[in-house]
Order: sequence, then C-alpha cells, then structure tokens
Amino acid sequence: MKKPPDIVYGLEEVPPPVVTMLCGVQHVGLIAINLVYPLLVFRIAGTPANAVVDLIDTGMLVLAAGTVLQALRVGPLGSGFMCPSVFTATYLGPASAAAKLGGLPLVFGMTIFAGFLEAALAPLLNRLRPIFPPEISGLVIFMIGVSASVAGLRLMLGGSAVPVTSAEWSVAAITLATTVILSVWTRGMARMLCALIGVAIGYVAAGIAGTFDPAQGAAVGAAAWVDVPQLGRVSWSFDAGLAVPFAIAALAAAMKALGVITICQRTNDAEWVRPDLSSIKGGVLADGAATVLSGLAGSVGTSTASANVGLAAVTGVSSRRIAYAIAMILVLLAFVPKFAAALASMPRSVMVATLLFSMSSVIVQGIQIMSSRLLDARRSLTIALSIVAGVAVDIFPAIAEAAPPAAGPLVGSALVLATVTALGLNLLFRLGVKKKVGLMITGESTDPETIETFFARSGRAWGARPDVISRAVFGVQQLAETIFENCSPQGPLAIEAAFDEFNLDVRVHYQGEPLELPDARPTDEEIRESADGVRRLAGFLVRRNADRARATLARGRVTIHFHFDH
Amino acid sequence: MEVDIRAADGVAVVEPKGRIDSVTAKVFGERVCELVRGGDNRVVIDLANVAYMSSAGFRSLLIVGKTIEQAAGRLALCGVIGELKRLFEIGGFSQLFVICPTRAECIAKVGPVGPQ
Repeated sequence: MKKPPDIVYGLEEVPPPVVTMLCGVQHVGLIAINLVYPLLVFRIAGTPANAVVDLIDTGMLVLAAGTVLQALRVGPLGSGFMCPSVFTATYLGPASAAAKLGGLPLVFGMTIFAGFLEAALAPLLNRLRPIFPPEISGLVIFMIGVSASVAGLRLMLGGSAVPVTSAEWSVAAITLATTVILSVWTRGMARMLCALIGVAIGYVAAGIAGTFDPAQGAAVGAAAWVDVPQLGRVSWSFDAGLAVPFAIAALAAAMKALGVITICQRTNDAEWVRPDLSSIKGGVLADGAATVLSGLAGSVGTSTASANVGLAAVTGVSSRRIAYAIAMILVLLAFVPKFAAALASMPRSVMVATLLFSMSSVIVQGIQIMSSRLLDARRSLTIALSIVAGVAVDIFPAIAEAAPPAAGPLVGSALVLATVTALGLNLLFRLGVKKKVGLMITGESTDPETIETFFARSGRAWGARPDVISRAVFGVQQLAETIFENCSPQGPLAIEAAFDEFNLDVRVHYQGEPLELPDARPTDEEIRESADGVRRLAGFLVRRNADRARATLARGRVTIHFHFDH
Repeated sequence: MEVDIRAADGVAVVEPKGRIDSVTAKVFGERVCELVRGGDNRVVIDLANVAYMSSAGFRSLLIVGKTIEQAAGRLALCGVIGELKRLFEIGGFSQLFVICPTRAECIAKVGPVGPQ
C-alpha cells in the first residue's frame, strides 16, 4: 500500500492529538446528519419524547461500537479502515413499515434479522467477484455519491419540504464556499478541518440570518447536560411478511459497504488496481454485526458512512486513529444529550452544503474507477443503463409509488436499483464473451494494426486495464516483427490470449528458428553494429516488457509465453 | 511514417510521425544522419507523435546519436511520454540520451547559446 500524495495522515499514521480530536468532531458533525432516520422511525412508532432521547443516546453508543468494529481487523471481522457507522436511508422504508405494523419491538427484531443476513453475505462475496467487475464497483460508488447528494438536495428542494428562503440559500452558499475555499487554497489544519470550519461558519451565518428552526432550538434547550443512557428497556418481535423488504435492505447495505470500503482502499493506496475482497468481507461482516447490535440495543439499521469516507479523502486525513476519536466523541455525546440535540438541530442549509462537499470526492472516485478499464459496447451499456435506471427513480418517485410494496426497497432506492440493474445486465452480457481468444498472422510481414485491433477488442470485452493491454500489444508486435525478420518462420504465427481478472497470458507459436530472450541487454555498440545485437535487444525488450516470459522449443515448434499480472 | 524537419533557433527539429519499426527505422535514421552530415549537428528529435518504436527504432536512435557525437554536435529528445517512456526505461535508454519535457527546453539545451 503506497500513500497517495494528497493524503497527509495515512491509515497507519498517528496525527497530533489536536488534529485527531478536531477531525473526530468534524466527522461526528456529518454522522449527526443521519440521526434524522431513527428520529423519523421513532416518530412513526409514536414514541414519547423522553424515550426518544434515550433511544438516540443508545444509537450513539451503537455507532461508536460499529465504528470501532470497522476500524479493527480481528479475525474475519472489520475492514481495518477509518469507515464510521451511520444510520442509513436504506432501512428507512422497511423500518417505517415495521413501526406502523408492530411498533418499535418489530423494528428492532427485524433490524437484528437484517444484520444477521448482511453478515451472512460476507463470506459469499468471493463467489460474487466474477459478477462484480471493477467498473460495477465504480458504478456503485458513483451512485452512492449521486443518490446521497440528491437526498441532501431533496431535504431542501423536495416536494414536501418547506420552501427555501433566500436567507437559507445564502447560508448554504456561505457554508459551501468556506469549505471549498479552505479545501482548495489552503494547507495544514485549515484544509484538514475545512468541513468543521465550514459548518461553524454556517451555524454563525444561520444565527445571523435567523434560519434556525425554533422547535429544534427548544429541543436543544430542553435537553439535559448529562444523562446516562437507559439500556435494556427494549423488546423484539418478528414478522415474516417484512422479511423480504428487510432482506433487500440488508443486500443494499452490503453493496454499499462494498463500494464505501473500495473508496477507503483507493483513498489510502496510490497503487490501487482493484477492490481487495478480504477487507471488504471483513467490512460487510462488521457492518452486519453493527446492525445486529443496533437491533439488540434498540435502534435502527446502520451502514458504512460514504460521506465521512469522502471527507477523509478531501481533507487528506484517513488515519485509523480518527475512527477511535469518532467513537470516543459519540460515547461522550451519548452522555451529554444537549450536544447531541445541538448537532441534530443543524440547519438544513448547512447540512446540505456539507453533504454535497463530502460527496464530490465520492462521485469522482466512482468515475475514475469506471474509466480505469477498457469498455466494450456490453460494458458501456451496463454502466449507462444502470445509471439511467438509478437516476430515473430519483427524478420520478412515482415509479416507486406504483411498485408492489415488497419491491419498495428495490425500486425506491437509486443506489439499489442501479446496482441490481448492473448486476443483471452484467450476467446477461457475459453470454458469448470468450476468456480465451486467438489470432493467426500470415504473410511475410507483420500487420501491426491487426494485432492492435485484436487486443483492443479483446481487452474491451474483458474489461481489462488499458496499460496491461498496451504492454501485450507491444510485446506481440515486437515479437512478430523480430520473428519475421530473423527466425525464418514457416507458416503463420498463432497468437493465443487468455484472461482472468488477475492474469493475462499470451502465447505465440511458430515453426522456425528459436528467438533468444536474454536477461542482459546487448551493449550499445552491439546494437548499432550487428543484426544479432538488434535481435537480442528485441528479445530483451520482450522479456522485460512482460512480468514473466519464456521460450520453449518442441518438435521444431517454438512457443513464446508472456505473462502479465493484471 | 512521415518525418518533418524544420529549423528553430539554429537547431534542426526532427519530428517523426507514426511507427518506427524494422520497415521505417532505416529511412528515419538515414534522414537524420544526412542532416548531420550536411552540417546541422544540433538536433532535437520530438517523439510525441510516435505511436510505436521497436528495437529497430532504438537502433536508429543509437546510430543517430553516434553520428552527432562524431560531428561534435548535440542531440536532445522530447515527447518521450506514456508507453514510449516505459520502453525507454525498460530498454535502458533513458540515461543514454538527453531527454527534456518540452521541445523549447530541448532547443535551449542543444542550441548555439545552450549550456556546453
């Protein structure tokens, strides 16, 4: 793992205590935005106000535990990254239905069920690898960014939202501008804490503009300074009728975890090539465990925090220590309800500006991962149609309203629908894609364009990395040129290429004189003065171009085998 | 392959376009060597538009380099980017030639007023 230049404090590094604590506060500010989801569910269940305070305090403790579980790597549990737990919109639909049907006991019971289901998905992820190529991981990440940004904007602009005043627009603009200016044009503490400073300035601007919600203000005033969360006053129930929507939500949470942990990997590794499934499996297991814990303690389903992971990338602080600081602050907040209430009262204009800023890096990372592979018509269609499907349900909520209730979590979420569409199309388009392809080159001279077209077409069908395909093209072109010039081939050159996500193996067979693949480069004089020198330079380049190369001779037939790590 | 040659600040700027392989390398090498033998011994070769260079292409560059050295001239390369840069590195050619990021820097390096 190589630390990227934009990262100031990488995963294993220890930032100074002040930076650690302030970054922790900054992240908790983002996490607090999602407290709206349990609050909505508790409201639907008709929970009394004093019980809600206890439940939110409990929720903070659950998020702290989930954040630590995710940061640790204990056996199969945890991704090892700074990837906090947050409450999520994914469970909002099913949990609201459970709240209406059976009150909070049913919400908690079904949450435990969903958590176990997500945890059970973790060991199966290896088998999903072929149907989850990197460009679909990129798509999932892109949709996480887009759908969270849209959800944020809906808070301000949605049909049911209170119309936005010009003062609120000004507060949003001031918050976003402050954060962006600090992120782009400053260094050190100002850049690392840009979101926190932006939120603080946003609160001041909101205070001056008078855009605080009086009801929220009253809630802050009424909240106690110190309170011990009351655990153990919860009960649980189960309803098989809600199993399907909760199962779909669990699947969505697992897919989101896959995408978010991929962002963590990419943020921390300048040489990232593909998702590493071992940390993803640990992360999905930890995410499922946190949701089980949430149901047991009396809260709603949790998920990995895409906004926080995006913020870590933008601010350049992705140290694991920040995760522990976040957990510590969340525990403190559970005992100081007034702070929790103050965070929960964040004006929507400040909230949306901060969310949009954090999601900018997530959206760009998704685009970069999608474009890191060669894409043929099938793969391009898979990406494009899935984005359209996801965006369509965000633009036309009527699609979800018209769907059968059981399909609600599937059609109601842009992220889930885009992912499921991509997985379905990817499975369909796998039909007819060959992992092993061949080409014959006949005639006395090489045809470079034929070789280039052959590898370009195959690379796009495989979704291969462009740099690896370029190396294969050079190797075969140089080889063909040298064989036709020097090795008196009888008959055509037969080229075979076999691909899987980790390997590209190319074999060139011909009948003729063998070609030397020397370990040592000929001298400049040998190259200039003799045909043998040029031939040996060709063999040397061909060997060094591949990760492994060897030539074999059997019954007058020469085979040159290149291996490229992919 | 096409070879475009023009003069800039007392320097001959050679710009090959296309592939330098066993078919074209000799023509390319001979054109530059003729130029040097004709008195233009300060040469910049801009490889930005070379799509592919094989061992034969590297040989022609070595011959050009030697010819310029014998004529007490100077040679610099630019446009060594992407795949071509990788080939220069794996073939051990990056250290052999003066390589500059831009054509202007190359001209300044080999030109009459450039550093000796």
